[in-house]
Amino acid sequence: MNFKEFQNQSRLYVIGALETEELEEFEKARKKFGKKAEDYIGECYGLHEAFALSLRPAKSSDAIKDRLMTMVRARKEA
Amino acid sequence: MRITKSRTRPFSVTPQLEPGAPSDLELMKAIQAEDPDALSQLYDRYNGILKALILRVIHNEAEADDLLQEIFMEIWNQAKNFSSQKGKPLGWMVTLARRRAIDGLRKKQAYARAEERLQNETEQQPDAWVHNSTEEEIVLSDTRSLIRKVISGLPPAQQEAIDLAFFRGMSQREIAAKTNTPLGTVKTRLELGLKKIYDGLKELKGEL
Repeated sequence: MNFKEFQNQSRLYVIGALETEELEEFEKARKKFGKKAEDYIGECYGLHEAFALSLRPAKSSDAIKDRLMTMVRARKEA
Repeated sequence: MRITKSRTRPFSVTPQLEPGAPSDLELMKAIQAEDPDALSQLYDRYNGILKALILRVIHNEAEADDLLQEIFMEIWNQAKNFSSQKGKPLGWMVTLARRRAIDGLRKKQAYARAEERLQNETEQQPDAWVHNSTEEEIVLSDTRSLIRKVISGLPPAQQEAIDLAFFRGMSQREIAAKTNTPLGTVKTRLELGLKKIYDGLKELKGEL
């Protein structure tokens, strides 16, 4: 696998769309390309952010935040 | 919420903040130091985005609220595992939320029910990439519209393949079966579509 092919596969990898048999080859190439590969995969995770930001924010109830913060403060004090 | 919209600033995938507002990274560092107020601010900033993502996966308002709470609790508990060298806080949170939402969907064996709801919603709302609109939502609209412009430039078949992979957690084989399309075609659609989105976003913001 050359680096261009690795880039293609990386974009599929970050969204979990690589098939099992492709994953094995991908991991080999990932090891071969080292830091360059890790940097590129890191960039590809930006796709997650973009997909989430493409959605209209949805409203959640105030009670959710109240419950969350109560749990967090209780855990901190424990 | 401290997120503001601006037409004059250069495009960034990350929403713009008001001057003086702590950055996401500063908030994450404060959460790592166990500051609950920092989590509260991060919640105010991103609960709408994360809930939209969860809803897109599980299509159930009550379950989405429960999961949202669990995810922010996990953000609090797992903050020490966040490293800015591996990416931005929002990317980390979205990755975590998506994984939890897809896991939740599978664990509850809700595929069939979600399928039915998705089918109904798709029939009611042809623009399948956008769901769950809220009346009050105005902020983030510039960022969203720019990203959506990139996505909507894709052929519908590519959009559908990416949608099923990202928001439903489907493998290529599952997408092929669901869309009655050859596996090779699904792979090509995903590859081409993701490359176009990646390149499009890079053009918009200089770097992804």
